[in-house]
Amino acid sequence: MDSSMEGMLDTYLLETNSLLDNLDEMLIADEKVGTFSTDDVNEIFRTMHTIKGSSAMMEFNSISVIAHKMEDLFFFIRDKGIDYLTDEDRKDLFNLLFKSEDFLRGEVGKVEAGEPLLDNVDEFNGKIAAFMDRISRDEARGEAAAKGEAVPAEAPAPAAAPAAPAPAAAPAAGGAASIIPADDKAAVFIHISLEEGVGMENLRAFMIVNALKECDITFRAYPEHMDTDSATSQVIIESGFYLAFDSEDQAKKAEGVLPSQNHIRDYEVISPDEARKQVGGAAPEPAPAPAAESAAPAKQEAPAASPAAAGPAASAPTAASAKEAPKNAKTNGPVKQSLISVNLQKLDSLMDLVGEIVITESMVTSSPVLKQLPQEAYDSFNKSARQLRKLTDDLQDISMSLRMVPISGVFQKMNRIVRDMKQKLNKDVKLTLIGEDTEVDKTIVDAIQDPIMHIVRNSMDHGIEKTKEERLSAGKPAQGEIILKASHSSSEVVISCSDDGYGMDPDVMLSKAEEKGILTKPKSEYSTKEALQLILLPGFSTNKTVTEYSGRGVGMDVVKKNVESVGGNISIESEVGKGTTITMKIPLTLAIMDGMKVTVGDSIFTIPIANINQSFKVEDKDIVLDESGNEMIERMGVFYPVVRLDRFYGIQSSIDTIEDGIMIWVEASDKSCCLFVDELVGEQQVVVKPLPQYFNNFDLKGRGITGCTILGDGNISIILDVLGVYTAAVENA
Amino acid sequence: MAEAVNELDHVVTSEEAVDPNKIAEEQMDVRRCLAFVSGGLTMFMSTEYVIEIINDHSITPLPATPDYVAGIINLRGSILPVVDIRILMGKERAEYTSKTCIIVLNIDSVPIGIVVDTVKQVLDIDMNDIQPMPMKRQQKLANGMLNLEDGTVALSFDCQSLIQG
Repeated sequence: MDSSMEGMLDTYLLETNSLLDNLDEMLIADEKVGTFSTDDVNEIFRTMHTIKGSSAMMEFNSISVIAHKMEDLFFFIRDKGIDYLTDEDRKDLFNLLFKSEDFLRGEVGKVEAGEPLLDNVDEFNGKIAAFMDRISRDEARGEAAAKGEAVPAEAPAPAAAPAAPAPAAAPAAGGAASIIPADDKAAVFIHISLEEGVGMENLRAFMIVNALKECDITFRAYPEHMDTDSATSQVIIESGFYLAFDSEDQAKKAEGVLPSQNHIRDYEVISPDEARKQVGGAAPEPAPAPAAESAAPAKQEAPAASPAAAGPAASAPTAASAKEAPKNAKTNGPVKQSLISVNLQKLDSLMDLVGEIVITESMVTSSPVLKQLPQEAYDSFNKSARQLRKLTDDLQDISMSLRMVPISGVFQKMNRIVRDMKQKLNKDVKLTLIGEDTEVDKTIVDAIQDPIMHIVRNSMDHGIEKTKEERLSAGKPAQGEIILKASHSSSEVVISCSDDGYGMDPDVMLSKAEEKGILTKPKSEYSTKEALQLILLPGFSTNKTVTEYSGRGVGMDVVKKNVESVGGNISIESEVGKGTTITMKIPLTLAIMDGMKVTVGDSIFTIPIANINQSFKVEDKDIVLDESGNEMIERMGVFYPVVRLDRFYGIQSSIDTIEDGIMIWVEASDKSCCLFVDELVGEQQVVVKPLPQYFNNFDLKGRGITGCTILGDGNISIILDVLGVYTAAVENA
Repeated sequence: MAEAVNELDHVVTSEEAVDPNKIAEEQMDVRRCLAFVSGGLTMFMSTEYVIEIINDHSITPLPATPDYVAGIINLRGSILPVVDIRILMGKERAEYTSKTCIIVLNIDSVPIGIVVDTVKQVLDIDMNDIQPMPMKRQQKLANGMLNLEDGTVALSFDCQSLIQG
């Protein structure tokens, strides 16, 4: 288990425990009635199947084996219908189920405690098999048709194989020799045997095959259809699987990759001559390497598996210790289950409450009534107030962090998308992830997953050049690269996706948009930046052909919508021939921030403290006018534009002369200006609340309004977005 | 065969016993509606949209919005947009008095408040009695009209149109 599995362990424990809880509930209810409903039989079957799968994945063999057996049992029952069982059978079945549930719980408990799991589950296995035998024999007795019997009777045998009981081992020793596939074209074979008892052998083999295929190695794998035909599992357990290569080079390459793959016990390269001899000849029992190889472990297996008391002491440890060692290493500390699922709404209301507490706290501690206290009492009040402040700060931090999850979950999914598209589109692209552990609010993660996916797809599909040659002739490395990056700035999460592909040509974009008739002003008036933003409009697509993944042009406007729904914005930079970068900036909407309250007329605005450089009084003579009468003011040798908020927002204000009001010098992402307001009210921590959904249709963000907050007295203050004000008042004025 | 027919008969009669009411209900389609006055017009809307009616609430104006947006209010900790339908209907702005009400609505889970002059009463109105507006195109907010029992004409307020566009 590598480190990536560590995080999965928590999830596994949560999932398995809740499945077992459900099972418990169901069993208790059903036992009262004395039978199972068809639905419940299906449900138990599914539960066992899930536990089997996830346990096998986590390599908890004892759990997966028992779950597998139970699954088989319920497959049988499902097939025959519950009524097929006699009353006595049912009673035993309930007992067996409860016992197996306890067994699974016990093993899961061991996983939690970091203890080694049982290596030998034969005893319990035997109980299930015995019950299975009994009910299937009942069937044979009851039904004349013998055909149905074959399936259930045989079922326990392959299922038991991972645990390696004697019967399964015996045929393995004999039958392994003659499996080398008849592949005339093959120059070299590689014969791979998997570790014993890893479970789901066919899929593990398939994973190895896939890994090799991803490295551009061409070969044929035997047995075929490993991924779909679970019967091949048995074959692979007994005699491993074969890869047939057309050339030695390919085989050499594969040899290089194999050591990095999991669960391979050993592998061996077999030359064609040797192979042919084996294929052709009658496969002499002792001589050929593969036969000997697979026979040897099988023999070793036999004593280990035989539950007879004498055996285990001697040989079981040899098999077991090898596996136990890494297992102990990875679970050195107890792994206590540390996840619970909580309704997101509860977290929201907790956040709201904490926000209100923070505000109320600052209301209480800054109350003017306190000034009337005698000095001594005031001091002691302040002391307690400081303590309270520290506690509420901690409370706030913790409640904020509750909703934070690393963005890696979303990023990792992109690996898969790039991988799939790489094969489909036949492009060589690598995905680089930066800042995966950036923590982002859960709602934001949910909202940006689709946008990111879409952007990555677009980059794969349209961004990166179609062929290697095209890239090489453009002087780029043959392999394309997509970089997904996440980082925090003071109040925003910045997520960007860059590719080093074609890049977008603003002129092409403009003519395309003109063709579609979605331009809102003459073509010549569009800046490069605006031209690139055209891709975000509904109904815009630069690609002529619609592909499976993208290209209908419905995507980017949806992306924009999604990002804006969480209060973010999206921008595009692109250079022809160099590539494209799409950047999403999303505010931490739930943030509690420090704000400066200012009044303009009757309105109270809140300006984030982080954006404020300085506030100062000015005189009329300090104001400089430009040719069109715009006001400017000098600060530290640089002239900054003055934005009068009352005029900007059309608010009635009694203060018009520069001397009566106050100037606030603000700065956001290298853009700086001075805001002229009536009065400073004071500093306060505020909970940022998004504006109601109703206002999504009005471009308030473009006018510098991003949210609002409720003040201590119940009034609402509007939070200014300095960058938005600057853009609207200075750049687009 | 005869039995089956009998059974069928039986079913029919039992249904008939219930039917008169049912048919009447279906034909009537009576809904509870809230009647209010805005800009001299009596209007009504189905109570299923109405959450509550508040008055004497201070409205914080929101800059950079169309003038029919009165602003936002703090409704027990949540921010609610408020629209003055008087202005939306192209009428003069009126001073807000103590009689001025905000009707809090929930339209397709979009919460919104509307400013009205006064709220009158809750009526049972048969939806089938509502006549279409003769001049459809010029109406922004009304989608039907009706003669009330006291002789006044009331307009059916189209809640959906508030949140569209």
